[in-house]
Amino acid sequence: MELRTNELTKKYGSKTAIDHLNVTLSNGVYGLLGANGAGKTTLMRLLCDIQTPTSGKITLDGKDILGLGEKYRALLGYLPQHFGYYPDFTAMDFIMYVAALKGLGEKQAKNKAAELLEAVDLTKESHHKIKTFSGGMKQRLGIAQAMLNNPHILILDEPTAGLDPKERVRFRNLISAFSKERIVILSTHIVSDVEFIAEEIIMMKSGRVLQFGKPQEITAEIDGYVWECTVPSNRAEQYTETLNISNLRNTENNNTVLRVIADCQPMGNAKQVPPTLEDLYLFYFKGVSKE
Amino acid sequence: MKNLIKFELRKILTKRFTIISIAAVLLLSFVLSFATFHNMYAFDGKSNEGSGRTAVEIDKSIAEKYEGVLTNEKIQQIMADFKPTHDLHGMNAQYLYQNAMQSAAFARFSDMNGNWNGSSISDVFGDEEIKIGYVNGWLNTSQNIARVLIALSFVIILMIAPVFSGEYSGVDNIILTSKYGKTKCTTAKIIASILSALLVTILTVAFHLMLAFVLYGTEGLDCSILFAPQEFVEGYIPFNITCGTVLKYQLILALSSAISVTGITLILSALCKSQMVTFAVSCAIYVMPIMLPIPETSPLYRIIVLMPLYHSQYISIISVEQMKNSMLYAIWAIPTAIILITFGMVISRRIFTKHQVS
Repeated sequence: MELRTNELTKKYGSKTAIDHLNVTLSNGVYGLLGANGAGKTTLMRLLCDIQTPTSGKITLDGKDILGLGEKYRALLGYLPQHFGYYPDFTAMDFIMYVAALKGLGEKQAKNKAAELLEAVDLTKESHHKIKTFSGGMKQRLGIAQAMLNNPHILILDEPTAGLDPKERVRFRNLISAFSKERIVILSTHIVSDVEFIAEEIIMMKSGRVLQFGKPQEITAEIDGYVWECTVPSNRAEQYTETLNISNLRNTENNNTVLRVIADCQPMGNAKQVPPTLEDLYLFYFKGVSKE
Repeated sequence: MKNLIKFELRKILTKRFTIISIAAVLLLSFVLSFATFHNMYAFDGKSNEGSGRTAVEIDKSIAEKYEGVLTNEKIQQIMADFKPTHDLHGMNAQYLYQNAMQSAAFARFSDMNGNWNGSSISDVFGDEEIKIGYVNGWLNTSQNIARVLIALSFVIILMIAPVFSGEYSGVDNIILTSKYGKTKCTTAKIIASILSALLVTILTVAFHLMLAFVLYGTEGLDCSILFAPQEFVEGYIPFNITCGTVLKYQLILALSSAISVTGITLILSALCKSQMVTFAVSCAIYVMPIMLPIPETSPLYRIIVLMPLYHSQYISIISVEQMKNSMLYAIWAIPTAIILITFGMVISRRIFTKHQVS
């Protein structure tokens, strides 16, 4: 299965949200990274056919998704960033409603609903009204509904928002187990989530792809730009104003270890360290350029 | 599809606002019916008089005495039986009310002092054969239904307004990305809207009819509406049709009103992102025809009365000049409702499926 965008462009008035985007996605987990306004959500909505491109097209195995209609949507699972629900429905009612929308038979829907509610740890609350749920519970319900039809293309917009660490680990495992022979696209601000789950990273800025590749490949782009240095704790704040700091860790003896992204050695005792995805994110989105 | 319709029906009918408004309409129906019943008054011209149940019994026994085809002899008899025995102090005897039968006769055949005004049945009704009997209960029921149907139309708008616009608050993402979100789901929403509107309309009309059966019995359904008490003389339907026919037309018009209102509201629901805006605009469109300064003599009036407000306010549309085949003009409410719901279905479906999620 191959999902491809061809010169995909989406404009809102004079603002270009997606700018002549060309990406090809085959089976695997893709992490979409980018600052607010980078175009991640717009790209996901275009891939879900709930927004129409200004120009360009999206094809699935060479066929325009607009022409595929129901056949395309049958393959799709989507968790939107802002997940709407019916407050007076119970979790089970909501899942059964979505199952009906996805064309599942009643027996199949019941089995799948029980299985997924168990997977997202909502079995006990399955007959509680959604309006009584916490943000994390609603998010887990959203994840469950997206996976109801065993989608071949699973698109998750900020799936880990509102989840506590335990739930995030559970989510990662769920996606890892689910992702075989499927296209999974997820966007998040939590870089560590993407680092754990995604096989490929798509880094976006201003509606364009900045980087696309495996985490180790794209982080190699900033080899030699990440430094660690130890400074007295009382001067650490001063450094945060002048340097691009990706992390800050206090040690004994009133010292602080700074992780700095810079194109040259920021201070005498700074040592080069291997870059992480988070470093790469800050490298692109804190205004430091390789040039 | 059946499953989706069930879910959509549930979404429409189980909302707290919907339940409260339907209960309020039924309560209003109950209060109106009982208030009308309680306020009924009758005097048999001799010694019996009373209100409520007693009045209905007096009216029925008088109607039984004269029932059948109206003749000039019967008119003379009624005029004699209920001739005022006391000074009216300047009051026009045409407005004198002792009981339903007396009022019907005096309103048409009496002079100011309660004497026969010289008109014959053919002078007043032409060559029509007028079957008389106890019609007061049914005609009052019919008017109460018309009053309640206005409130019911607002309830239908309230129920249907969120059908599409309610989804725009976030569930549209999920619906429109699901397999049937742009196809069967929109059809299910439309079908559920129509079914809900018809269901509450039938429930309300049936509730009124049930109360009428309990309070007034079944007498008079085959009697003409033309020989009715004074309050039904001016501005009432001028055709020789039975109470049963009026109620049948009224039921058809109530259903066509519900369908028409549903069609209009569905379009606005798909168009507006706010349920409140949908509700306000739909209500404005519904009541607008009555505010237009179009006289009954204008050819435009024949079009205006086809709007849903006049379906529920049955007197205006039923009173329009009969068609050549002697059918009532009100029958045009059916094609009007079909046109409005077809527009509603096609346009709302198109808008919702093309909706750009934001």
